[in-house]
Amino acid sequence: MEEVTDTIYAIRAGQVDALVVQGKDGHELYTLKTADHTYRVFIETMNEGAVLLSSDGLIVYCNSMFASMVGLPLSAVIGMAFTEFVASQSANAYQNLFRQGWTEDNKIELMTKGATGLIPCQLSVNALELDEGVSLSMILTDLTVQKENQRLLEQNIEQLAQTNAALEISNHDLLQFASVASHDLQEPLRKIMIFAGMLKDRHAEDLPGTSLQQLEKIINSSNRMKRTIIDILTYSRLSTTNDSFVLTDLNELVADVLSDFDLIIDEKQVLIQVDALPTIEVNQGQMRQVFQNLINNAIKFSRAGVRPKLTISSTTRSVLGLGQEMQAPVCSISIADNGIGFNEKYAEKVFSLFHRLNTKNAYEGSGIGLAITKRIIDRHNGTIKAQSEEGVGSTFTIKLSSKQKR
Amino acid sequence: MDTQHKRKILLAEDDSDDAFFFFDFLHNRSDVDLLPSVTDGVEVIEYLNATSSAGDLPDVIVLDQNMPRLTGKETLDHIKSSEKYGNIAVAIYSTYVGPQLIEECLQLGAVIVETKPVTKEGYNKMMDAILEKAVEGRKGENGG
Repeated sequence: MEEVTDTIYAIRAGQVDALVVQGKDGHELYTLKTADHTYRVFIETMNEGAVLLSSDGLIVYCNSMFASMVGLPLSAVIGMAFTEFVASQSANAYQNLFRQGWTEDNKIELMTKGATGLIPCQLSVNALELDEGVSLSMILTDLTVQKENQRLLEQNIEQLAQTNAALEISNHDLLQFASVASHDLQEPLRKIMIFAGMLKDRHAEDLPGTSLQQLEKIINSSNRMKRTIIDILTYSRLSTTNDSFVLTDLNELVADVLSDFDLIIDEKQVLIQVDALPTIEVNQGQMRQVFQNLINNAIKFSRAGVRPKLTISSTTRSVLGLGQEMQAPVCSISIADNGIGFNEKYAEKVFSLFHRLNTKNAYEGSGIGLAITKRIIDRHNGTIKAQSEEGVGSTFTIKLSSKQKR
Repeated sequence: MDTQHKRKILLAEDDSDDAFFFFDFLHNRSDVDLLPSVTDGVEVIEYLNATSSAGDLPDVIVLDQNMPRLTGKETLDHIKSSEKYGNIAVAIYSTYVGPQLIEECLQLGAVIVETKPVTKEGYNKMMDAILEKAVEGRKGENGG
């Protein structure tokens, strides 16, 4: 009887491929090549350890992968309590899983005592109704490679964070430098302007005409330089100050900015059309600057002989998040003109620092305005794009979320 | 205070060109009496301590922010926390004035915090503002 039990165990354990039976006509060979065999091969050759537990936690079946994980022969594993392969730090987790596994499918990560040391595993269990009663089937996935990858990933993330921090410091230093340099440049520049002004005011009549013209050029150049310095300071300060976002009616803000342009709007007879704009969360000072720059450009780069037209319009679109939840609506605001425009191949370049598409003589400016604009929009987590056609006009489109993250 | 009386103005400025501009643009005003300037905050304190009679103290002190030894802000703090000189109106000016400096100095009791002017008109406007605020400050003190 014991021999029969052993044989059945051996068949179950997959150690038996064929049986030789003494029959009437001599020895007969019975292979186990049945539908059952396919499943056995499937279970035996899979990369996961497969174990079947009895209600008292003893191993009634396991595949060779599990046996090789724990470094024991299959025959030795059968009949052992599974707890013997559970590392002490995972004992409690395993006990819980074993208790609950009979009623619900579950999975945990645990440390298994392997052949050469502890192996991190994912263990998933589900109860099986079999002929011999209810058993608990357990699948063990070796997580060593996964854990190693995770560790490498974390290491890389850590390195990235360090590099990022270093970059931030160097970026901060650079901006600090810009700030200090512009500050120190302002001092001598201011003196040049004052002394030149004194010369002009007090000696205009003593100076020959050409000298007076040259003096004017000194003053004009100084004024231009002053504006550039202030723009650089503004640009560098954008990175060093904290952002405070306030719910703002853009209609009011734009009306306010437009009132600063009253004189030039009158002088150039600019046609202005402003549609209803949204009320969204922005840094007011910065957003004022955005509209100042864009409106200034729209008016500045008007075409000779064409009445300048400035159109500010907006659309608002609701957004579904990845989980289909409603997110804050995104507003798209366009500032369009009928000015000289530019070749669209420069559509990206116009936003870079000190990039000018026109000569200084034709159009004044520091070449920083759009860089400041873009940086402000970046700090609002928005986007700005330029579309343009030479001799037709330009449209700048800003996309901003109506709410800012805090 | 006698409004017909010329206000005594003490300037602390380490830059001789800036001191020159200050005097050149303001010396013709009938409402101010420009005292010989000093070059930093320590000298301001020394000047005040050396003035025996309260009537001889300046009515207004104009401080450059960036000075050696004691900066404008530090000098302002020093003056305003003194019982003897706390009433003197103090103005801060600098080549570049950031929002933080403005807030801090106003908090400490400065009458104005301004960017250094670039024209004669600018200097006179600044002085008008200082004198106006200085008078307001006095009235406020008398009232309270």
